[in-house]
Amino acid sequence: MPSISDILTNIAELLSYTPDKPMLFSSGTFWALFLIFMPIYGLLRRNRWQMIAFVVAFSLYFYYKSSGIFVLMLLATSIFDWTLSRIMSRPGMSRRKRKLCVVLSLIGSLGILAYFKYANFFLWNVNALVGSNFQPLDIILPVGISFYTFQSVSYIVDVYKQRVAPTDTWLEYAFFLSFFPALVAGPIVRADYFLPQIHRNHQATRTELYTGLWLIILGVIKKAVIADYIAQYNDLIFNAPGAYSGFETLMGIIGYTMQIYCDFSGYSDMAIGIAYIMGFELAQNFNFPYKSRNLTDFWRRWHISLSTWLRDYIYIPLGGNRKGTLRTYVNNFATMLIGGLWHGAAWKFVFWGAMHGVGLAIHKASKPWLARIPDYWIVKTVSWLLTIAFVATLWVFFRADSWNDAIDIICAVFKDFSLDYIPAFVSARLTWVVLILVIIIAHALPTHFRELATDIFVMAPWIIKLLIFMATVQLVLELRTADVAPFIYFRF
Amino acid sequence: MNKHYIALWLLLLTAFVAFAVSSAFDLPEIAGHQLKSSEIYDGIFGQSEIENFDLDGDTCFTVPDIDKPESIFPVPCDSTAQIIMLVGDSMLEGLGPRLAAYADKNGHTLYTVMWYSSTSEVWGKSDKLKSYINRLNPSYIFICLGSNELFVSDIAKKRDKYVKKILADIDTIPYVWIGPPNWKDDTGINDLIKSNTPEGAFFLSNGMSFERSKDGAHPTRTSAAEWLDSVARWMPQHALHPILLEVPEKSAGKAKRIFVHQPSEQ
Repeated sequence: MPSISDILTNIAELLSYTPDKPMLFSSGTFWALFLIFMPIYGLLRRNRWQMIAFVVAFSLYFYYKSSGIFVLMLLATSIFDWTLSRIMSRPGMSRRKRKLCVVLSLIGSLGILAYFKYANFFLWNVNALVGSNFQPLDIILPVGISFYTFQSVSYIVDVYKQRVAPTDTWLEYAFFLSFFPALVAGPIVRADYFLPQIHRNHQATRTELYTGLWLIILGVIKKAVIADYIAQYNDLIFNAPGAYSGFETLMGIIGYTMQIYCDFSGYSDMAIGIAYIMGFELAQNFNFPYKSRNLTDFWRRWHISLSTWLRDYIYIPLGGNRKGTLRTYVNNFATMLIGGLWHGAAWKFVFWGAMHGVGLAIHKASKPWLARIPDYWIVKTVSWLLTIAFVATLWVFFRADSWNDAIDIICAVFKDFSLDYIPAFVSARLTWVVLILVIIIAHALPTHFRELATDIFVMAPWIIKLLIFMATVQLVLELRTADVAPFIYFRF
Repeated sequence: MNKHYIALWLLLLTAFVAFAVSSAFDLPEIAGHQLKSSEIYDGIFGQSEIENFDLDGDTCFTVPDIDKPESIFPVPCDSTAQIIMLVGDSMLEGLGPRLAAYADKNGHTLYTVMWYSSTSEVWGKSDKLKSYINRLNPSYIFICLGSNELFVSDIAKKRDKYVKKILADIDTIPYVWIGPPNWKDDTGINDLIKSNTPEGAFFLSNGMSFERSKDGAHPTRTSAAEWLDSVARWMPQHALHPILLEVPEKSAGKAKRIFVHQPSEQ
């Protein structure tokens, strides 16, 4: 029989910060904590300030569980930004002083991000350029720093431009910045969309509650069932570039294309679902991106909260499409370059962003010519194939350990490629093939099918919902890998 | 709280309690498949592995429950410098230089013992392996054998005793047997080696794709280096006894000594 001290020790271990084990929405620990969170939140919901204070406290704990002591940095950022936003909005403040506040805030937020994310990249490049021997700094990247930094930047800029009023209290701003469903991997929340919801004091309806649960189930299936399972094969291919036949390598590339979508959109679904249950609405982050028939459409469907952020805070301030055709292409390219660098401090990410920038420019330039082509099914198919091939090829640079590995993997597709591998591959990797087909079919289905499935789930009896939820959890247990894989976007 | 909110909370709670309670018992089999447990019970009620102090003040560690599942974490890597012996057939021509580069990088010493056209039977019948072990006193062994017996019929019956003899010669020294780089399906050599070795001591090379040299059998030097890189990547997570094998900058190195035996010595 376990002793009380053992039980307490185990619980303390589960609740304390463990490096390399950030709190995942799909983990048992989060589930247990959410069960405690829900009734307290429900009771405090009617009193706005108590609710806000409780959610902020829970969010900070959530961040502590994922990033340990860096929770203090999140606190400091929120206090610094909020103070500047209040100073900025004092009556009679000159434009120059207001601008100074923005600059100070940006130096603070982006300076922290630059140090934690790009300092070693900078040192590495200096070493390579001038032959110096600076040792890399021992830096741990705080989880989700890129996401909340972008939120803080958008808030300060919006307050400066008077698109949103600054929050009256620090608690409200802390609620916005640290809202735990979106804290560590988005969707990137915008102040003008989110802050009014705090004041709305809306209680989720039955439909919203169960739509939230349905999104959580979908997210868990995407992340913990599909993405984590297919990753096992994809890792084999990416860990030994060139060691497999062309066909197997191609399957690995397709596998990673599906994996990153399921991983990230699965996380977004869970985040949106949890927010729904709490009575909040987060913006849609993915809209079947692999249905896209051109790159512009792809970026309207992929990581929508990031692409709209880049559009509003980089592309448009650079001049957008208001300064001539050439400048439009340059702005587009520069925006995607920054988007690439946001994903990671490595040249491969810069290249990935740059190639998307080039692709977008080519698409924009050829639009008048493309508009003249009749929209036959064959044209649609070719457009889709070209888009998905371009996107998937660039994912190789995103995933491969190095530039050379990425080149080796792409070259390997054309080496020893034979369709004769198909029967053996299907027989050896049947589950992998089935899961890939599930994603493809989900994309091929009409969009309203998803709404129909949601409606059916919402209307189903309580017991059926319980059984579906339990079946999902059991499926996760059956297919889980030895080590739970963190979300790919946690590192960004 | 409205009733729908409470109903949702009860749904999540019911499911959690069901998984927590079921994790305390052996789950049933469904169509021959053993259902996996959530391990919630072990996570909360399992004995803590943090050190305890008994009443006498002596430090002691709690003994893990017998029923407790094996650790899901990989075996810790042995980071000490090793004396590595690489033994096998002509495939060592490609593997040896790359392993030597790894040895240089990680502070190990490498001896290569290559016997052209050798098989498990050749090594099993001779005392060479035992004599090299006695002479070089390796702390780790890599074997690469099987390429010359990919198509032997009824192989399990014919070669089982020789594979067992090789493993008996190795005795308790940690080892990894690198399977042959099949260019066609074999008649059972991979299965035979696998069945005689514990999990984590056999690296299956069958299924990998190689760039072959002109003879169509041996991987090119580059491909063989990639082959060894794959073994090195596989080891930290899967090998029974992983050792330090950080990727070297150099593509090839030199073994401390290479012993070569010709087919005529068989």
